[in-house]
Amino acid sequence: MMLIIAGSAYARTSVDGNDNAIAGPGANPKTDPNPVVRFHAWGGSAQVNSYLQWVADSVERKHGIALKHVKLADTSDAVSRVLAEKAAGNLNNGSVDLIWINGENFAAMKKNALLATGWVSDIANFALTNPDSNSAMVTDFGEPTLGMEAPWGKASMVFYYRKAHFDAFNEPVPQTLEALLQFSQQQPGRFTYPVVTDYLGISFIKYAAIALNPSNQSLFYSPVTQHALEQITPSLWTYLDALHPTMWRNGEYMVRQASQLQRLIGSGELSLAFSFTAAEIPSAVERFDLPRDVRTFAMSDGSLANVHFIGLTFNSPNKTAAKTVVNFLLSPEAQAKKQRLQVWGDDTVLDISALSASQKSMFETQQSHPSALDKSQSTPLYAEPHASWTDALRQAWEERYGARY
Amino acid sequence: MSNLNSQSKPQSKSQSKPLYKNRNRSLAQSPFNRITVGAKWLLLCLLVIPVVAGVVGVFLPAMGYFPAIGANQFDFSVFAALFDVAGIRTMMWLSLFTGVVATVIAALFAFVLLSVFYRSRMLSRLQKVLSPFLVLPHAGAAIALVFLLSPSGFFARLFTIDSSAIASANEGVFLFDSYGISIVLALVVKEIPFIILMAISVMSQPLIQEKVNGYFKAGTGLGYSPIAIFFKLVLPIVFPQIRLPLLAVLVFAVSNVEIPLILGPNDPSTLAVAILHWFNHIDLSMRLQASSAAVVQVGIAAFAVFAMLAVEKGVTFCGKKWLQRGKRQAPDKAISVTAYLLLLAYVVLVVSAVYTLVAFSFATHWTFPHIIPADVTMIHWNTVLGAMLTPLSNTLLLGVSVSFSALLLVLLTLESEPFNGGKTRASLLLSTALFLPLLVPGVAFLYGLVWFQQLFLKDAVWFHVYVAHMVYVIPYVYLSLAVAYRKFDNRYEMVALSLGKSPMKVFFLVKIPLLIGPILVAFALGLAISFSQYLPTLLTTGGAISTVTTEAVALAAGSSARLSAAYVVIQAVMPLCGFGLAWWLSNVLFKPSTHTISTNQSNTGRSVRSV
Repeated sequence: MMLIIAGSAYARTSVDGNDNAIAGPGANPKTDPNPVVRFHAWGGSAQVNSYLQWVADSVERKHGIALKHVKLADTSDAVSRVLAEKAAGNLNNGSVDLIWINGENFAAMKKNALLATGWVSDIANFALTNPDSNSAMVTDFGEPTLGMEAPWGKASMVFYYRKAHFDAFNEPVPQTLEALLQFSQQQPGRFTYPVVTDYLGISFIKYAAIALNPSNQSLFYSPVTQHALEQITPSLWTYLDALHPTMWRNGEYMVRQASQLQRLIGSGELSLAFSFTAAEIPSAVERFDLPRDVRTFAMSDGSLANVHFIGLTFNSPNKTAAKTVVNFLLSPEAQAKKQRLQVWGDDTVLDISALSASQKSMFETQQSHPSALDKSQSTPLYAEPHASWTDALRQAWEERYGARY
Repeated sequence: MSNLNSQSKPQSKSQSKPLYKNRNRSLAQSPFNRITVGAKWLLLCLLVIPVVAGVVGVFLPAMGYFPAIGANQFDFSVFAALFDVAGIRTMMWLSLFTGVVATVIAALFAFVLLSVFYRSRMLSRLQKVLSPFLVLPHAGAAIALVFLLSPSGFFARLFTIDSSAIASANEGVFLFDSYGISIVLALVVKEIPFIILMAISVMSQPLIQEKVNGYFKAGTGLGYSPIAIFFKLVLPIVFPQIRLPLLAVLVFAVSNVEIPLILGPNDPSTLAVAILHWFNHIDLSMRLQASSAAVVQVGIAAFAVFAMLAVEKGVTFCGKKWLQRGKRQAPDKAISVTAYLLLLAYVVLVVSAVYTLVAFSFATHWTFPHIIPADVTMIHWNTVLGAMLTPLSNTLLLGVSVSFSALLLVLLTLESEPFNGGKTRASLLLSTALFLPLLVPGVAFLYGLVWFQQLFLKDAVWFHVYVAHMVYVIPYVYLSLAVAYRKFDNRYEMVALSLGKSPMKVFFLVKIPLLIGPILVAFALGLAISFSQYLPTLLTTGGAISTVTTEAVALAAGSSARLSAAYVVIQAVMPLCGFGLAWWLSNVLFKPSTHTISTNQSNTGRSVRSV
C-alpha cells in the first residue's frame, strides 16, 4: 500500500497512476548512501513534533534517509538564514533542505529566489492532490507556487472557548466579530490575540479586516494599494481601538506566539481564543494541555482558510533525498496519519475521490470528540488575501499601535 | 582578574618568592614551560579574537557598511534611522533601568544576607538554599517564575479560596508589566546567589580570611555589632575583590535576552529583545538597524558600568563619613529582619518552584485554582524523553568537550603564571581578556561573530558553537580554579622538583592529584555554563544544533505548559548531576590527598553561575 519513489527520473514516469511506483528498499538516492535531510519546521507543537518524529523513523526505515527536524521558534529565522547564505555566496551547500512555509515567508523566498523551482511535478504523490482542478494546491496566498513548494496540509481559522467560564459569566458564545467585541467589553481580560509579527496574530487582523469590510472584499484579492488600504483601515481601527483596552492584560502585553494562546486557555487566564488547526484542540485536551470543557466552533460570519506547503531550498545539497521525503509526506499513509485527531488532526491535501478504496479507508473518520469542531455546520470561508496585504496590514498596525517584539 | 593577581602578590612575596626565583631560572627553558606559555596565548586568542571580531562585525554594518545588501558607505545614517524608530528611547531606558536596578538590589540584598550570616553556621545552609537558583540557567529560572507568578500560577492558586474562581490577568501587577518589574525580580532572584557565593569565595581566601578575622576581633573589642562590623570593616575589603564579577552581572543584566523574552513587556520590549528580532528579520536591511542597536547596547552597558562605578565612589565617600561617626550599630534589627525574610522568600520560592514544575511535568488535568493536579501521568515525560535524545547528546558532547578543553587550557595557563611573576604584558592582557566576553553584551558581539563565521568556514557549525561556548566557559573555569591554584602549597612542588622530577611530571603526578577536587568542580562549572548557553548556541548554529536549553526556550513559548515544565526540570537536574558527580569523584578518586584542599575550595566551586 505504500507508494515509494526513488529519484526524480523514476518519479516523472509514474505520476499518472495511483497504484504506481512500488520500489524496493534498495532504491535509495544514488548520490549519497546515507543522506541527511534537514527539515526546518516550526517546533512549538508537541503533536507536530511527534508526527515529524514518526515521519523521520519511517523514511529512515523505508529509504535510509536521516530526516532531521530543526525546530524553529519562528519560520522567518530559517528564511533569513537561507537569505544570508545566498548573500554570502553559498549556492549549493545550504544548511536548510526542506522548510515548512506559506504566505509571506513563501512570498519572501520566491522574491529572493531562495527555493528550487519546478520540482513539485516530480513528486509522484503530488498528482493525488488533483492540482489541475484544485487551484488552492498551486496558489499560496494569491501567489502561484510555480512548483517551488508542495502542499502539505489545510487549515481554517476556528475559535475555542472554556464552557465553564461562559456558563459562569452567563454570556452567549460570540459567533461574529461584533459579538466578540461585546463579549470582551462585558468580560474584560478574557480574550487576546498574538502580536502581528506572529502568523496567527496577523491572521486575526486579516479576518477582522475582511469581516468589517463586507462591501470591499474584492480589494483583498489583488495586490494591495495605498488607496485600497485607506478604504479598509478606518473600520478596522475603530474596532481595534475599542477591543484592545478590553483584552488580556488590558492589551498592554500581547503574547508573542500563537501557541501561548492555547497555554493561557489551558491555565484559565483566557476564556476564548482561536487557532488555525482545529484538530489540535481535542488532541491538546487528550494530552491534558487543555481542560475538558473546551469547545471548538467556527465564526458564523466567516473563517479564514489556507493551505500550508513544504519548500525545497535552491541550495539544498540533498535535493533527491528531500524529494523522497516530500513524496512520503504526501503519501496516503502519512496524510491519513496526520489527519488523525490523536496524532495532529491536520486536514489532508489529497483529493479523497482520487484515491483507491484501500487508501480511502485510511481516512475513515474517527469517533467524534466533545472538544472537536462540529464539521456538520458549514461556515463561509474567506480565502487568504493576496500576500502583499500581510505586510501592508502589519505595517499599518505597527504604525498605529507600535511595534511589539 | 587583576584583583586576584594583586591579592596573590603579597602572598608570594612573603612566602615563596626566593623559591620562585630559583625555579624560574632553572626551568624557564623547559619544553613544558613552552607548552604552558603557548596554552596561555591560545587561551588569550580564544577570548579576544571572537569578541573583537564580533564587535567589528556589528560596528561595520552600524556605520552603514554591509556589502551583502550593497551598502558600502560609512556614515551615521543608520544611527539616525535607529533613533527614529518608535519607542526606541523606552527600549533603551527599559534595558538600563531593569539592569541597573536589579544589580543594585541584588548586591544590596546579598550584602544584607552576608552581614547577618557571615559568622554563623547558617552560612552553609544559606548556600544550599541558594544553589538551585545558582545552577539553573537564566531561561529556566524565568520559566519557573512564570509558573509561580502568573495570574493562574501557583501563588495565585494558593491565595484563591473560592474553588469556582476564574484566574484574571487584568487585576494586580503580574508578569509582562511595562515597567519591567518582573524582569528586575527575575534578575534579582538569579543574581543574589551569584554575588553571595562570589563574596564567600573571596572571604574564604586565607589572606582575606585572616584580615576579616582580625578586623572582627578589633571591631568586637571596640563594641561594634557584627552587622556593623560587616558593613564598616569587612565589606570595604571584600568589595574591591568582587567589583569585576559584579560589573559582569550588571552588563549581563542590561543586555540579556532570555529573561525579558520570557517574562518582559513588549510594548515596547527591552533593546536586547528588539535587537534579536531585528537581526532575525526577513528583510536583510534590518541588519543595519540591528547592528546600530547592538552598538547602542554596548554603549548602554558601558554607561551602566560607569554609573555603577560612580555610585560606588559616592557610597565609599558617604561610607567614610559614616565610619568616622563611629556609631557601634548599623540598623541591626531592620537588617536582620530583612535577611530572614529574604531567606524565607528563597525557601518558599525554591520549594514552590520545585513542587510546581515537577507536578506540572506529571500532571493530567489541573485547572485553576486547584493546587494539586487531578491525576498523574507519564505521557509528558515520554514525549520529552522521546524527543530528548538528540538535544541531550548535543548538550553533553558540547559541554564535555568545551569544559574539558577549557579546563586544560586554564590549568596550563595557570601553570605558566609563576614563571612570569604576574607582571608581564601577557598577564595584564589576560586579566582584561578574561572579563572581556562578560563585559561586552553577547547580543552585540555574537551577531558580528556569526557574520564572520558565514564569511569563513561557514560549514564548520560545531567549530563555531564550540568557540562561542569557550568564550563564555573559560572565564568561569579560570575564576573558579585560579583561587585554588594560588592557594596551593608550593612546598609539595618544590620537594618533587628537588627530588629530580621534571616539571611536567610534577604537574601531572603531584599538582593535578592534589588539586583534583577544585579541578573537578571547575569542570562541572564549565559543564553548567555550557549547558546554559542560549544565544551563543542559537546564533552560531542557526538552530541546526539543538541543546536542552534552546529546546526549553522554544518550548517556553510552546503550547504545552507541562512539556516546558519537564524541560526546566531537566535543565536544573543536569548541572546538579555535574556538581554531584564532581563532588563524589573527588572523594572517591583521591580521598587522602584532597581532604584539606577540597574543603577550602568548596566555596569557590560553588561560586558559579551562567552569565
